[in-house]
Amino acid sequence: MKGGNTTMAKSMEQLMELIEKMPDEAAKPGEFILPELMAIQIAHTVRNDDIVFAGTGLPMVGIMTANFINAPNALLIYESGICDGKTMHVPMSVCDQRAANMSSTLGGLVDTFGYYLQNGYVTLGFLGGAAIDKYGGVNVTSIGDYYNPGHRFTGSGGNSDIGTMAHRVAYIILQEKRRFIERNDYTTTPGWWCWDFKTNEWKPKKEVWKGTAYANSGPVAVVTNMGNYAFDEKGEIYLKSFHPGVTVEQIKENCGFNLNVSRVEGETKKPTYKELFVLREFVDPELIFLPQKVEYPASIQKLING
Amino acid sequence: MPRLRTQTKKAQIMSLEEACKAFMHDGAMVAWSGFTGFNRNPFAFAWQTVRQGVKDLHVIDRHGSCCTWLLNAAGAIKIYETNWMGWGEMAGKLDVNLERRYKKGEMILEDYSHGATAMRALAGAIGAPFIPYNAPLGSDLYNPKYDALGKAGLRDGKNPRIPKKKFIQMEEPFWGEGETVLLPAMRPELAVIHVAQCGDKGTARWRGVGTIDKEISFAAEKVVILAEEVVPESEMRKLPEGNQIPYFVVDAIVECPWGAFPSSVPFYYDYDAPFMREMDKISRNLDDQKKWLDEWVYGPKSWEEFIVKLGAKRLLDLKADSVTGYSTRMMRGKKPAPRMKMPLSVAMSGY
Repeated sequence: MKGGNTTMAKSMEQLMELIEKMPDEAAKPGEFILPELMAIQIAHTVRNDDIVFAGTGLPMVGIMTANFINAPNALLIYESGICDGKTMHVPMSVCDQRAANMSSTLGGLVDTFGYYLQNGYVTLGFLGGAAIDKYGGVNVTSIGDYYNPGHRFTGSGGNSDIGTMAHRVAYIILQEKRRFIERNDYTTTPGWWCWDFKTNEWKPKKEVWKGTAYANSGPVAVVTNMGNYAFDEKGEIYLKSFHPGVTVEQIKENCGFNLNVSRVEGETKKPTYKELFVLREFVDPELIFLPQKVEYPASIQKLING
Repeated sequence: MPRLRTQTKKAQIMSLEEACKAFMHDGAMVAWSGFTGFNRNPFAFAWQTVRQGVKDLHVIDRHGSCCTWLLNAAGAIKIYETNWMGWGEMAGKLDVNLERRYKKGEMILEDYSHGATAMRALAGAIGAPFIPYNAPLGSDLYNPKYDALGKAGLRDGKNPRIPKKKFIQMEEPFWGEGETVLLPAMRPELAVIHVAQCGDKGTARWRGVGTIDKEISFAAEKVVILAEEVVPESEMRKLPEGNQIPYFVVDAIVECPWGAFPSSVPFYYDYDAPFMREMDKISRNLDDQKKWLDEWVYGPKSWEEFIVKLGAKRLLDLKADSVTGYSTRMMRGKKPAPRMKMPLSVAMSGY
């Protein structure tokens, strides 16, 4: 048996006490890395009374972080059939037994997509995407001609279901000019504007989905490596905050359409030492999703050493 | 249409080789159990399928998995009706063999979504011809232009397992709830299901998530169960609520310990992330892949020899602990797993 993680030589009780002692003040630039900042932005999207349906990867890390900090009662659904898993070790997949730990019930996809999602219980969906349009429509299928793609991605998975039937939907996407675009080559998950294939018109989602229970459900937030985004009354994306070290000009340069920056509130709130401590020691201490462990500043390390 | 049966099936206990010979053939339409590359993939059966040289399979499934990875590596899939063509998430999200073959026009790919696939399997399981679903209107998944099987001329009704349409969008007729989508039932020829325990009559049980394994078992015409353990049927009857598959749908039972490796069987063993990362790595170079297939697929004389080749150390590290159902000894990331007694969320929410 490999010995325990040296940073985790402390008992659960000691670590819990340490969380209490960790300052709520914002960490300084250089004391955290971008994936940590992004995971914590995801966490802040979660409310304590949310029923969250999240995809694998950073969304899962983010909602686990939320479950450990700001939203301990948020109920997490994982698509393979897990209802309210209470994870100790970060799962690598939504079907990982780690995600099923201490869950309320275990079922299958008919439970999660039918009983929970289609039936209207899911309040927040958190998903990834390969490309996004200005109305929050997401492509995880293909670039170029669908039948002869320049690049083929994995395909919908649960993206299109969760992204349209959860009340609020948030995405995490790598921001590049070719990924933030006016119109997707292939829309896997429609945003606030989409095609009506019956009439062949590009229309507001509210009209296409009129009469269904989900007409007002859709994207509310996007987190990228450069900033946080929200959607206006017309369903158009706008910049809400820019991450530390990134300028609004750089963000505009990495956007394939004329981005609305008139409502920007300022710099993204930096993660606190407490949030970083929980993320590093409890959520992903195995460094599965986080690329590296950043050293704590001396004052924090002194607290940890006791 | 639903197959009316006049008598119960009698499940046969078979070896892996016998079951694969009896139920797999070129062009078969097959669904595999589990979820992504991580949970209860009947990998041994896919492995044997490739060894027997079966080709032109029509895989209808929720997901890419270790099984579809191997079948694609061997070029055994002709039609792939799925919704996620990755296979191992963190191990290698995109199946590069699949992408390679698809771009060369060697296979047909029909896209659905998880929810749609689950509903299609449910319809198949309950003998319904189709099922309404609030599938994402405005998604190109339901763009009439994008119907790969239709484009290939395979929706002409000649193949009884391929529906004549990918979907139908219609006005919801009972409640006036806008537009809805009808999805055709899934009716595979064969479901291959890896479980923890199976009674010698066929009653089967898994622990952990169920994905759509019960649904595909009922939707399929034939069902092969691979089990970590085959136990006396009477043992399975002591906790019937823990069982998911009744014996009367099962055609064959194969006892196949470690048969889901490198995916996991909760409470038996964990998934082998490093092994899956290696599979992904070698698939990016055809020479490396050939060597790997020769070593791991065509080399061993039997599945038992494959497992023995893995070595006792690896199996020890993967062995699940009886409390959590997974292993904390396996190196999944860059650091070992910490010992934890309780999830922090439970400690913080107070129950």
